[in-house]
Order: sequence, then structure tokens, then C-alpha cells
Amino acid sequence: MAVTSAPAGRRRISKRQLRDWIAGYLFASPFIIGFSVFIAFPMLYSVYLIFVEWDLLSPPSFVGFANLARMFKDPKVNLSLYNSAFYTIFAVPIQLTISFSLALALTQRIRFRDFYRAGFYMPIIVPLVASAVVWQRVLHPEFGILNEALGWFGFEPRMWLFEPQLTKPAFIFMSFWMIGRQMVIFIAGLGNIPDSLKEAASLDGAGAFGQLRYVILPLMTPLIFYNSVIAIINSFQTFVPAMIMTEGGPQDATLFVVLNIYRNAFQYFNMGYASALAWELFVIVVGFTLVQFYLSNRWVYYEEGD
Amino acid sequence: MTDAQRSRSRQVSRRKFLQGIGIGSTTLLLAACPAPAPADGGASGSAAPAAEEIELDFFAWGDASDIPAWEELATTYGEQNPNVTVKPSISGTGVDYYTKLQTSFAGGVVPEIASFQGWEWQPFSDAGLLAPIDAYIERDNFNGPYPDGVDSIEFSTRRDGSRYLIPLQSGVMVMFYAKNAFDEAGVAYPTDDWTFDDFVSIAEQLTSTDGSSKMYGYQANGSYARDIHWIRATGVQEFDMLVDPRTAMFDQPEIIDILQLVAQDFMYSLGISPTPADLEGGTNTIDTGNAAMKYEGPWFFPRLNSPELREEGKQIEFDVVMMPQMADESRPHRGWAEGVCVPKSDLVDAAWDFVHYMGGEDGQKIYSTITGRIPNTSDLVENFWGPTIEERFGVSNAAAFSNAFLRSEVDVIGGVSRGQIWSEVAKPVGWDPMLANSAAAADVIPAVNEGVQGLLDAHWAKQG
Repeated sequence: MAVTSAPAGRRRISKRQLRDWIAGYLFASPFIIGFSVFIAFPMLYSVYLIFVEWDLLSPPSFVGFANLARMFKDPKVNLSLYNSAFYTIFAVPIQLTISFSLALALTQRIRFRDFYRAGFYMPIIVPLVASAVVWQRVLHPEFGILNEALGWFGFEPRMWLFEPQLTKPAFIFMSFWMIGRQMVIFIAGLGNIPDSLKEAASLDGAGAFGQLRYVILPLMTPLIFYNSVIAIINSFQTFVPAMIMTEGGPQDATLFVVLNIYRNAFQYFNMGYASALAWELFVIVVGFTLVQFYLSNRWVYYEEGD
Repeated sequence: MTDAQRSRSRQVSRRKFLQGIGIGSTTLLLAACPAPAPADGGASGSAAPAAEEIELDFFAWGDASDIPAWEELATTYGEQNPNVTVKPSISGTGVDYYTKLQTSFAGGVVPEIASFQGWEWQPFSDAGLLAPIDAYIERDNFNGPYPDGVDSIEFSTRRDGSRYLIPLQSGVMVMFYAKNAFDEAGVAYPTDDWTFDDFVSIAEQLTSTDGSSKMYGYQANGSYARDIHWIRATGVQEFDMLVDPRTAMFDQPEIIDILQLVAQDFMYSLGISPTPADLEGGTNTIDTGNAAMKYEGPWFFPRLNSPELREEGKQIEFDVVMMPQMADESRPHRGWAEGVCVPKSDLVDAAWDFVHYMGGEDGQKIYSTITGRIPNTSDLVENFWGPTIEERFGVSNAAAFSNAFLRSEVDVIGGVSRGQIWSEVAKPVGWDPMLANSAAAADVIPAVNEGVQGLLDAHWAKQG
């Protein structure tokens, strides 16, 4: 009896399977269309824009690699990268340290614990523009609460947003306002550490610091890693405070990468050059992330499954 | 079949429900995409028949004082032309406005009418997107807003031989002074014939910053755009030409000297002006009652004095005076026209009819009364605006604006925008260090000149 079978890889699809596939794609279609139209297509289009000059009014004209060549010679690009790197290098480790410390404190049995948790998380839900305006007041040279507080300890008032050497530190200080998200993630992680491990460490003679050093920190490294990856990406994308509070000044001290991209795109209408800058930022951020993932093998501890 | 079975068969399954949501959301997403723009029409696009329903999209400047004026103009025009609906889209101000407008054009959503300042529409006309209006001006004998011999009007309404901008207001800035500051210090109010030395002397007499309540003689503006007046009043200008310049000329001794004064010495050595830090958060200004004089335009009236403020007892009694006489005896003032342009579309005729109404006597009276801005003809300024601002804002010297406008000149118009000159070079390299007292004008202005020249060279190199 001759038996015919479909060749491998060309298996017949039943009507039921086809219906399931169509239904599946229909379920996912809002995301697929939204992603394609609003994310994938603009990203691909911006690759095309790197090679053209376009002011949004006249048709794009092909300029080859001119935008890329300009990018490597433009002093504003180096300056904005330096500003963003400075901000990231100092802001991220301090953010992680503070948010982790807060999470440790707020997993202890203390009064009003939930109130504190909500309080530290609250700034996350405040719109960035409103936060920037509030911080403008906090850092006000004459009436700001920061100078007022420093005055109690005998410090002279400083012009935080007007002296180039103080503006980035002021922005870094301001970034601690937004650590609630990291704190919540750490709190969730700390809640998952089994008491039995801490008790075992205690029986072995480990005090509070020993438990932190040998039990808690190793088990928290996946979350520290996650928070650091996200924080570095966010830091490189800092934009709103510089736009609202200092307009990139004084003397370009807060001209961050994204502000430089925004200006070139939407103030000077050099869409091609702005696309080149945007892709440069993309490559840098992806590069940092890959390096972090590579280095994570050396310090991030993942519990083995059974 | 039992009732229960029949009921179940009528129920929508979870799969069908989710499927419906998927299809619905997709349809909504697709429906949200804008319809394609109408085909690009010429300036002489045919007018729709009078009875045909017409909808005009007006991309409108969103200053708080303008918004009610646009709405009122659209309403009154609609009453006179029931088949036309004008829809003002309030679209922000400043850089945000032009960002939205330019992206709107790029997206193919082209309004029939768009607000423009006199130095911002030129890239749009260079790209062939605006309809020239010379033929309409001639047809309707609409020459009032284009007086002969006023450079600022000519430069901010015409390009390459064609007129594009319909002025809805004449922009000119003069010196505002708060009367109570003068009264309290026993200093006489300034008059239009005052000199720069008089101005500095008066500002010094008015300044009193030792006590808890500070008073500065002059609220300096601290930006290139606002300091252009001081530069030009010295008798030199910072570019070889004010339209499409090719050479930057900031590093002239007159410019360096005047910037040293107004962008640094006024604040630090003379102490007659608040520093940028003093001004942070809106403090120490003429509107808070802590500065006696400020260089401003008519849009600033409602912030100091208006019927509403008087009702609340919060007004600051003020008047205006021409900027002080300096080396240039012709007394140039910064000036320009602001108004609307008509982008090319199928509805240019209908759009012109509406902008003609806004720029005509009836429309101007509405616009000027609501906003306080200077109307576009000398007749209206003299016979309507002067009495109106005296009644509404307490300004008695409207002639200061008229006289200043007669000898007004634009800032700079061309491929490198004033905004780019400021953000890229003038602010970080020049004004920031001067205003922070960390470098003198003589140290930074040559670098500003070099940077601006670099922008001009790059621009012209692109033009081939």
C-alpha cells in the first residue's frame, strides 16, 4: 500500500490551526501595528535620515556620510557626551546605594513603614515638568530651601543653577528624588530572601553586617544589576530638567545628549544630523548594556534551580 | 435545546470577545491616522462657491492674551459668513509653536492660515509652501499695513520681491517704567528726549537694594535678542546685512563696550539691575514691584495694569518712554511685524478673505482691544489704540510706540535663525559668562563672533 506523506517542513495546516493563528495575530494586532507604526518604522526611517539633509519643509536631499562626519568633529557632541557620562557615573551608583539603603530600612519593623514607602515612591508619579519646577524653587539662590538648610551649618548660599561647576552636581542631587522605583524593586527582592538563610548565617556567628555582606547582598545582585542597567539607560536619556531648568546652560554645563538631539531636530530642524546623533546615543547605550551583561557573570549570583 | 443551552449559544465566548477587541483596536488605530493632505494648490487656487460650506484651519499662536482674540475673530467672521467655519488651533508659543507647525507641514497636515512672527516665515516661503499675497493686496487695496519707508515692515513681510505676511500687529519695544518707584524716590518721570547717561543716572537714583524690600533701577533682559536694541543704538550692527547676512560683526568696540555695560556692569559694578540669579523664579522684576524700568512691548501691558488687576488692587501704575538717545541720532528701535501667512492650499481665496478681515479695521479693533497690541496702521494707532490703551492700561504715551516704530529695524532674518545663534553660540560662549560675571565682554565677544561666523559659513556652504 503506497503511503504518501507531506515533505518535511511543508506540513499541512488544519483549518483549526489556521483559525487559531489568525485569532492569535488579531489578539496581538494592536501591539503589532502600534509597534510597527510608532516604533519600528520611525527607527528604520531615522536610519535613512542619517544619510540625508532634511528640514521638514523641503524634500530630503542625500548627503552620504556628511552627517556622520560632522558628528565626529562637532565639539557640542563631545561636550554633551561628557555631560551625560559625568551625570551617569556619579548619579547611578549613589542612586543605587540610597535606594538599597532605604529598602533595607523599610523592610525592618518600624512604625509608619507603609507611609514612608508611599512617601518615597510618590515623586515617581509627579510629572517630570512639575518636578523640575519644584526643584527650581528648591535650588533658588535666595529663597531656596537647599541654601536655607546649608545656611544652618554655616555654608554660604550658592547659585546652583548659575555656576557651571555646580549645575551637574545639583542635577545629580536632584536625581535622588526619583529613586522610589528602584527602592520598590529592592523591597520586593528583600522580601523574597528566606529567613532560614539569615538564621543559618546568624547561627554561624554572622551579625547584622555579616548577614548583609554574605547573604543579603549576594542574593540581591540580580536586582542590583537590573536596577543599574535601567538607571544607566535613563541617565543617558536625561532631558526634561535640562530643558526646563537651565536650557542646557550655564555655558553648556547641562547640555546633555538628548537635549542636543532635540535642539538639532526641533529647533534647528536638522533632522538628518539629529538622527545621526540619536543613533550614536543608541549605540552607546546598547554598548554600555552589553558590557554590563558581560561583566555581570563576574558578580551577579543567580540561584540554581533544582 | 434547553433554555440554558440556548442562552450559552448566545453568549459571546472569551475568544470572540478578545477577537472583537483586537479588530476594534486595530480599526481605531487605522482611523486615527490623518487623512492625506489636499493636493498642493497655487496662490490663485479657485475660491469655493459662496454657498459652499468651508472650514478653515487656523494654526494660531497661543499666547494667553491672543487666545480669546482668535476665538472672537473666528466667531464674528463666522457670523458675517455663515458658510465659513474658522477653527483656531491654539498651538503654543515660541520654539514649541514652530516645532509643531513645521512637523505639521512635514506630516502633510497643512493649515489654511498660520500665525508667524516677522522673522520666522522665511524658511516656509523659501520652500515654496506659502502663497504670495501681492495680487490680493492690490485687488483689495490693502496697503495700510505696509507703509512706505519702514524697514522693519518691509523686511518682515516681503521676501524675494513677494509679500507673504499679513501684519496683525506692529511689534516695537520701548522702556516701561513703574511710576511708584519714581514717586517714592522723588525722581521725575523720564521723557522721550532722555539720553543714555540720563537713563543710567536715573537707574542709579532709583536703586535701593540694602533693605528687605529691594528696588532695582532697571530690569535687564539678559539675552542677545533683547540686547539687540542697545547694540544698534550705538550706531553699528552685528551683521553685515540684517537679511541673509554673510559676515558676523560682533567684535566691534562699540558692541563690546555696550554689552559690557548692559550684560555685566549694570548688575555687578553699578548694581542697578538684578542678576539672573536674582530673577530666578520670577522674583525681583518690575511686575513684582522690585524694578523700576524694563524694556518691553505692548503684550506686557496686561501683566502690569488692567481693569481686572485694578479690581483686585494688584495693578502697577506704569507708563512708557522711547529708549534713551545714544550715539545713533536717528534712534533706531527694534521692530517687526507679526501676523499670519496663507499656506498654499485649495482654499487660499477663502483664507485670504478671513485674514483680510483680521487685518482690516474691524478685525484690528477686536484684536487690539483684547490683546493690547499695536494695530497695523498709523490711523488706528493714533485714533483707536492710543485712547484704548490709556483707558485699559493707563498708558498715556502711546506716541512713544508710534515714533519708535517709524525708525524700527528687524533683528536678523536668514538661514541661520536668531534662536540658533543664541542657543549654539551667543548664550554659552558670550552671555552666560558675562551674566555670571566670570568673563568680560572683551574676553568672550570675539569668540561669539567666531562661532556665529562659523554658523553662517556652514549655512552658505550648504546653499552652494
